[in-house]
Amino acid sequence: MENSAPIAKNPSLFGILKPYAWLTTGLILLGLATNGLNLILPKIIAQGIDVYVQTHAVLTTVLWEFFWVALGTFIFAYLQSIAQTYASEKVARDLRTKVVAKIAKQSYTYIQEVTAGKLLTNLTSDIDNIKNFVGQAFVSIISSAFLVIGSAVLMILIDWRLALAVLATLPFIGIAFALVFSRMRLFFKKSQEVVDWLNKIINASILGAAVVRVLNSKEGEDKKFIEANTRATDLGIKIIRLFAVMFPVIGFIANFATLVILLLGGHFIIENSLTIGNFTAFVSYLGIIIFPIIMIGFLSNSISQASASYGRIYGTLTAPDKKENGTVEKTLRGDIEMKKVSVCYGEKQVLKEVSFKVKARTRTAILGPTAAGKTHLLYLLMGILNPTNGEVFYDDALVGDYDPESLHRQVGLVFQDSIMFNMSLRENIAFSKTVKDADLQKALDTAELADFVETLPGKLDAMVMERGTSLSGGQKQRIMLARALALNPKVLLLDDFTARVDESTEQKILANLRKNYPELTLVSVTQKISSVEDFEQIVLLMEGEVLAKGTHAELMESSPEYVQIFDSQRSTNTL
Amino acid sequence: MNYRLKTTQDDNDEKQPIWTAFVKIASLLGFEKKNITISLIAILVNSGMTLLGPLVVGYTIDKYIENKDYHGVLIFSGILLVVYVIAFFGSYIQTSVMGAVGQRTLFRLRNAVFTKLQELPLAFFNENKAGDLISRINNDTQRLNSFFSQTLMQFTGNAFTIVGAAIFILVINWRLGLAALVPAAILMILTRVTSNWIKKINLRDARAEGALSSEIQESLENFKVILAFNRRDYFKEKFNVANIVNFRMSIIAGLGNNIFSPVYDFASNIAQLVVLIYGIYLIAHGQLAIGLLVSFLLYIGRFYDPLRQFASFWSTLQIALAGWERISEITKLESNLPILPAETMHKATLAAHSRSIMRFENVSFAYPGDDGSDGDDEKNRGKKVLSNVSFNFDKGKTYALVGPTGGGKTTTASLAARLFDPSAGVIYLNGKDIRTYAPDERTQKIGFILQEPYLFSGTVKENILYGNKKYENSTTPELVEILKKDGLEKILQRFEGGLDTPIAGNADSLSLGQRQLIAFMRAVLRTPELLILDEATANIDTVTEQLLEEILRKLPKETTKVVIAHRLNTIENADEIFFVNGGTITPAGSMEHAVDMLLHNKRRS
Repeated sequence: MENSAPIAKNPSLFGILKPYAWLTTGLILLGLATNGLNLILPKIIAQGIDVYVQTHAVLTTVLWEFFWVALGTFIFAYLQSIAQTYASEKVARDLRTKVVAKIAKQSYTYIQEVTAGKLLTNLTSDIDNIKNFVGQAFVSIISSAFLVIGSAVLMILIDWRLALAVLATLPFIGIAFALVFSRMRLFFKKSQEVVDWLNKIINASILGAAVVRVLNSKEGEDKKFIEANTRATDLGIKIIRLFAVMFPVIGFIANFATLVILLLGGHFIIENSLTIGNFTAFVSYLGIIIFPIIMIGFLSNSISQASASYGRIYGTLTAPDKKENGTVEKTLRGDIEMKKVSVCYGEKQVLKEVSFKVKARTRTAILGPTAAGKTHLLYLLMGILNPTNGEVFYDDALVGDYDPESLHRQVGLVFQDSIMFNMSLRENIAFSKTVKDADLQKALDTAELADFVETLPGKLDAMVMERGTSLSGGQKQRIMLARALALNPKVLLLDDFTARVDESTEQKILANLRKNYPELTLVSVTQKISSVEDFEQIVLLMEGEVLAKGTHAELMESSPEYVQIFDSQRSTNTL
Repeated sequence: MNYRLKTTQDDNDEKQPIWTAFVKIASLLGFEKKNITISLIAILVNSGMTLLGPLVVGYTIDKYIENKDYHGVLIFSGILLVVYVIAFFGSYIQTSVMGAVGQRTLFRLRNAVFTKLQELPLAFFNENKAGDLISRINNDTQRLNSFFSQTLMQFTGNAFTIVGAAIFILVINWRLGLAALVPAAILMILTRVTSNWIKKINLRDARAEGALSSEIQESLENFKVILAFNRRDYFKEKFNVANIVNFRMSIIAGLGNNIFSPVYDFASNIAQLVVLIYGIYLIAHGQLAIGLLVSFLLYIGRFYDPLRQFASFWSTLQIALAGWERISEITKLESNLPILPAETMHKATLAAHSRSIMRFENVSFAYPGDDGSDGDDEKNRGKKVLSNVSFNFDKGKTYALVGPTGGGKTTTASLAARLFDPSAGVIYLNGKDIRTYAPDERTQKIGFILQEPYLFSGTVKENILYGNKKYENSTTPELVEILKKDGLEKILQRFEGGLDTPIAGNADSLSLGQRQLIAFMRAVLRTPELLILDEATANIDTVTEQLLEEILRKLPKETTKVVIAHRLNTIENADEIFFVNGGTITPAGSMEHAVDMLLHNKRRS
């Protein structure tokens, strides 16, 4: 990665361009060259006309001059557009890479806090705004200013009296534009909000498609959508009305300036103080000067949008990195200890002073009802969540002291929700780059997937769709398990693994685990006692607190809550 | 029906001539004939007046300025002022009426897309990536938006000015006029030749953009997995690939879109040069007055300036059309779940059905893709999940579907709720083909709690009442009473803020178990005749689950319950157990038999 430009205290939009100094300079030079040549043209025509009027001869040098200038304008203009496209896309690409590199360094908590949606906006529409700035606004503003000043100067040089009269009308265009545009900006902002609202409804209707169909709530969704859509249309029409006023007003003022040229210029021609050629040049310069005035107004908006976007991106880029990674790299024995660990989200306490120990190569179950904080506990063990208070140890070192790469190589987590990526089954399972083929095969066998893979058209190379909609819940769960096992982990964390896998498969898998991974330390979060009854330790977790821990037999003696849960499940255990 | 939308960047897109674009746009505007007529008249007036201006100027030069008659200059300046004032009003009416037409068209278009999205069956959503769908609809409607809100009205105005200017210069002096139009003709040919290419590169650019944003979305939403498996590098790599593809496509699209502006400028300049050379020649031969040459040069501006803007409108139009095409891919789709006309039933058949609420008769089902088109990349495509199964659900009974994962339990439940139609065979609901029911009637009778319920952002209350017409206007205390009656208030205690607990989308703020609880309340409140629970309690603890069972027991006697579960205690109260595996559905008889089958049958998934 290139060194990011020294970042100022306040993010300046122009600061983005610093690393592209040569590109930007070239861009400006090309813009000035194009427009400079453009400015000469009316003057050349005027010369041609005047020479003819005075001498009744056609000056071929003038015509050639005209041709070369026109050609030069064309070449510079196209070079400029190439440079603009390249510069804007390059800036956008580099900025995206930078943002992604930054996100990739962040912690899970950060993503949760900032939300994936906001980061997505950062990477798409925010960067698009900056792209527009670099590609269009930046050069256009400089060119426009150049054209306005250049035309004005040339007009004054031709005939200062006429020039002053014409230029006097122009500020009215600026004023009319500014008045309308300030109101329009307000509407634009509102209409962006409405668009967000519309998109939200559309997104929900896509992500919640199944629910909408099962509950037949189309009507309600339609109503919501029509409400938002109507608002969007109303706002759109309001904006149109402003446009409808602005364009004719500007057009009229420009026409009025033509009228001034006719009245005053005609007078000067009659007085013989102005030539017809220069009269024509005046009309041409008037044509050149009006557009940039409007342009500058429009672009100021694009600049303020880009500034706001850059502010947001800057916030992402300068967010504090997650705290220093640990450096301990060693092979885990598998001892785990939690010491008075608490996790809070604001006022909400998810875990309260949780303490327990797991001995290496033993199996521990974390048992507890819905929303007891079990999943958070696993995230703590995985090091993707940091405790608000308390300490988590592997062997004798804190989780945070381990090099995360080394830790994640040795600790496998099977997530509760099935998360599939849009790539081949092999890549989905051998998700880490260090996986060997033998480990992959062992993982497949253990997860009872080998048979299933055989039935697939492309075997392991079969593609898996996003959200894995084409796989059954249990298949997805087993793929998740294989993904974790393929790392050949020392510690395996299961999050409610048994919920979606049928009894016989589950038992086979547990047996496979003992056989194929005898060294493994297992921590399994579950609701079901029967599958963990023979575990060396069961920790009963309720509302974030450890109520009891021990073997099944011990808990049956000591914990009434445990007995209650056991009883609720007992009827089937005796079968 | 194949619902998979195009996402790859294929180059063989059908070629479309320019005029079909106008036909398409015109068909979208069909509703607004009267307003379009008004604005066309306004455009005519405006363009006519705008074009009259240079003529007046030229005439004034020749007639009065050349002859040093300042009085005439004053009179004609007055005329010019009148012309400008009329143009002002014409321009106002044109912009406001045409703009409003555009906004209303956009309104209809958005509604059409959304309505279609709601009509399409679940299969459509299973076959397309959510991220791509979202990007397609949001970005592409946005592209159409910018076309209809801004470009359309300027576009039509410019079109008239261009045509008018061409007519004027041809009338003033047809030879000089023709000469001035030659560069324009070359431009037209150039535009025409490149238009398909331009459209294609824009389409490809839009697709690359969609791919990029769905890439980001997928990774960000699954960030915890990326962390846990040390795949930050993978995230960056995959993103970089998409980023670079997008970069290339954007550059190509940019180069294509931007070539027009300089070319048009060049053409305009050359036209001026032509007019200057040829015009002076004509003047020398006494066939043109100097004032008219000035008018002519002004008309060149009136002709080529809008033409140049026309070029940028043209690319906006192309972009809009590319967006429109991507959206039409969706609006063209038809639901493959049509409502059949109600059939007349023999009394005997009805009677035979009177006991059962639902009957599967010789039902087979395969996921789409067996047409072999592009289905080989996915495992379930074309695979037969059910073959020729028949069974009954009797009124008021509780059924359990058990069987190994991937055996077809969820598919069976989805068929019962008509999320799909069987590929063969018929499903009867209350004795009538399920396909003859209107959706509201069908969904009123069938409640389905999904495996992974989706929650809408809002509150718990809003989600419970979602799609519930009966209680939708209840106040919070009223709803609490209703919930109490059904014994649901104990579940509510699992949520800290009760009914007002906020829910942020489908976010991680609630556990899967809590989400299932909400889905449970949502379904029970609708008092369906047939309630399907698809592993609806898999992530709920057993104590809460007993509570749920109690609630289920309290449901009216006629309610038929179909439970899909792995945990056997959830199905021990079932009246009948079906074993679902390998395309068949077998009654298991007793619980022991079911357990036995579960433990010893070879998994065939």
